[in-house]
Amino acid sequence: MLQRIFKKIHVQQILNQNVQEKDSASPKVSQDNLSRDLKQNLKMLRNILGPSSDVVIREFSFGCEEKINAALIFLDGMTNKTIINESIIKPLMYHARLISPEELRPTNSIEIIKRTMLSVGEVKKVTPLEEAINDCLAGDTILLINGFHEALVVSTKGWEARSVEEPKTEAVVRGPREGFTETLRVNTALLRRKICNSNFILETLQLGQKTKTNVCIAYLMGVANPRLVEEVKSRLKRIKTDAILESGYIEEFIEDAPFSPFPTMANSEKPDVVAAKILEGRVAILVDGTPMVLTVPMVFIESFQSAEDYYSRPYYASLVRTLRFLAFLITITAPAAYVALTTFHQEFIPTPLLITMAAAREGTPFPAVAEALIMGTIFEILREAGVRLPRPIGSAISIVGALVIGESAVSAGLIGAPMVIVISLTAIASFVIPSQSDVAALARLILTILAGFLGAFGIIIGLLGGLIHLCALRSFGTPYFSPLSPLSLLDLKDVFFRVPMWAMLTRPRGIGWHDFKRQKWGLMPRPPRKNE
Amino acid sequence: MVKRGSLFLRILAISLIILLTAGCWNRRELDTLAIVSGTGIDKPEEPGKVQITVQIIKPGEMKAPQAGGGGEGGSGGQKPYWTVTATGDTVFDTIREMAHKSNRKLFFPHNEIIILGEDAAEEGVQKYLDFFARDHEPRWLAWVLVGKNTASEVLETKAELEKVPAISISKLIEARGATSEASAVTLHEFLTRLMSKTTAPVASLIEVSGQGKEKTALLTGTAVFKKDKLAGYLNKTETRGLLWVLNEIKSGIIDVECPGGKGKVSLEIIRARSKIIPEIKDNTLHLAVEIDEEGNLGSQMCSDDLTSESAWKTLEKNQAAVIHNEVMAALKKARELNTDIFGFGEAVHKKYPKLWKDIEDKWDEFFPNLEVAVIVDAKLRRSGLITKTVKPE
Repeated sequence: MLQRIFKKIHVQQILNQNVQEKDSASPKVSQDNLSRDLKQNLKMLRNILGPSSDVVIREFSFGCEEKINAALIFLDGMTNKTIINESIIKPLMYHARLISPEELRPTNSIEIIKRTMLSVGEVKKVTPLEEAINDCLAGDTILLINGFHEALVVSTKGWEARSVEEPKTEAVVRGPREGFTETLRVNTALLRRKICNSNFILETLQLGQKTKTNVCIAYLMGVANPRLVEEVKSRLKRIKTDAILESGYIEEFIEDAPFSPFPTMANSEKPDVVAAKILEGRVAILVDGTPMVLTVPMVFIESFQSAEDYYSRPYYASLVRTLRFLAFLITITAPAAYVALTTFHQEFIPTPLLITMAAAREGTPFPAVAEALIMGTIFEILREAGVRLPRPIGSAISIVGALVIGESAVSAGLIGAPMVIVISLTAIASFVIPSQSDVAALARLILTILAGFLGAFGIIIGLLGGLIHLCALRSFGTPYFSPLSPLSLLDLKDVFFRVPMWAMLTRPRGIGWHDFKRQKWGLMPRPPRKNE
Repeated sequence: MVKRGSLFLRILAISLIILLTAGCWNRRELDTLAIVSGTGIDKPEEPGKVQITVQIIKPGEMKAPQAGGGGEGGSGGQKPYWTVTATGDTVFDTIREMAHKSNRKLFFPHNEIIILGEDAAEEGVQKYLDFFARDHEPRWLAWVLVGKNTASEVLETKAELEKVPAISISKLIEARGATSEASAVTLHEFLTRLMSKTTAPVASLIEVSGQGKEKTALLTGTAVFKKDKLAGYLNKTETRGLLWVLNEIKSGIIDVECPGGKGKVSLEIIRARSKIIPEIKDNTLHLAVEIDEEGNLGSQMCSDDLTSESAWKTLEKNQAAVIHNEVMAALKKARELNTDIFGFGEAVHKKYPKLWKDIEDKWDEFFPNLEVAVIVDAKLRRSGLITKTVKPE
């Protein structure tokens, strides 16, 4: 049956391809160049841009003796009106009088205007109509002058955007609070401000045949492996889809293991995190329209590293790091372990604990597996509801939720109290590693079912299966489970504990090995020696 | 794509087959288990039969009554345990027989004590303990006890501090260190000694005191076995003598006379170590038991100043004498019963393996006449928070 489904998907894909090819060859955007006649140009533009209400076409004339007809075409809301009024229309209409009429002859006026009259940073001369229209749709203004088959495209991008705020998902106590926004240029600027280096390269591609989304690849030349950069570019160029609305779209098109539950590309909302990863030799992929920036390659332990680990003191950071590993283990195995212990291995439990647990189980109607699955499902529902709910109703969820997985469920005799504790512990622990929490929910479910059938044996089978899968995964050529497998002793400096900054001598092997030395040896603070 | 689909199908099919055919067969929910906390074995009047008493914990009644739950009633008066007795031909048969009385299956891993009734112990325990050694459920860490009364009587006593008598008895054994006057023998140790050709098994001795509803169980010494049959008992002093030799003294109080002779002084044992050293001198086998002990002055009932050097030395001497006497008492009893409870034979075996082959079978004749030297090195370390006793100067 599944084969048939896959076949269908395949057929669908071929169909899609056809549609897209047809679409890109559609006559809507013509391959024509501009003509010398303004009227005809405007007619063509109107024809192409259609009846959209946000297209503004402003026709005007300038010049003192010989009036020259011209037109501005821009999108309302995408452009900065001040620039258009003060730096385009005003110089043309007032200052054109100051230039000698000889100079402002229609034959050479477009060059004169570009050079002397438009007080805007970025102006370019464009001949193909399609390019001019694309720029216009991106927020630039087209200046058409009668008698020229070239248009001036003036950069007037300016729209309402969310300002740089503290990211909601990756809050820190110590460290920078700024987060990426939805505007690509702001995001690249945030990165550029962290890495003031001419080797820091930002390359832009346009993806999405309909949306024409700007996608930016950021890397540090000389540190990032050039083959990695090439690989990222070639995978990005493979994408032939109509829309890219979020970096998640890109992730799914270019990731290494599309069927694996584990993410093989990391994402972050914080410029400092992305900058740190770029400095390790990774490549970042910024997508216009989303604050989520992708970084590749990703390794599994990245999920356990937090920005704050590097800003707080190493002892505490190492302790917290260890706690995260523990929390991950708890969140995937706790319900399974409880089920296995109470239904298969009662002899493992110390007598007083067994008696307490048996007392709690007394009179509960469901077997332990069913209890674990029901409670797990309810928790997932509550979590989902908590995320989606409008904030004013949010408190209602917490009250109702506390009733459902809490004292009331126990006193009603539906669920044993230890199960409530186990599920709550699982829930708390799952929030410690947000980037793997969806994997954790899946693993928890599978392990619980396995434990319900096979006991501890099932848990071991499940964990081993997961481990084998993790070791087999790769992300852009880097083994996913490195530096643990394959083991790289040098890189253990940043796995279970975080060594002090002065001991972080090298970049991670396999990611930044191209330029492995991060700093020189012997930077540990110490009193000056005599001969210094 | 198509290949991936079939791979997925195959994995699904394999895992379903594994889970559904190989899974669940030994699945037991907690509320289908009868957790056995103690087992008693008795010899009933009917010959050739076995009487087994098990104490099952009732988890529902174990819960401490909640502050607000007084009105619910019922749970207050109920005993949190259930003592079931059954009689049958064999141990295993009798235990399975209990399924007719208990709707839940007996669950033995948490069985903490095995009590052998005096009659059963005298008859020989091999046939009773075989099940507990062979079956995978009971633990070898359970304490083995001999009840001077029947085992069922011991299990019916009242526990004041614990809720279940069996657990109370188990804790009683664990707390023996304060006096070191009761032996503690796990099933594992008992079986090891039972399998030895010369070393005699011992077990804790438990008695029931009091009348009617106020019956309580107390440890009163050690039961000594010859082969697998109960041979006799050691009292508390003799038991401590045994433990000195076995190097199992944890703590305890040694009472000695005041050097002035006007009262008693209690010395607390802090550390003790012992060694059995077999030696052949002049073609005869000698055994030396070396005991190193350190104690503290715990309390004095006389008003003398004991911190003077002479008094302190006298105390140390007296302390050594008491230890010596205790060991000699145990030795005397062991010789009387002709049971090598100290494991002297094993010590000889280790040091003189060749010689041992000759005397192994004659050990019973050797043992009562064995020369044993007890060398005690007892020291007194500290005198507590005060030096001289509290009295007007």
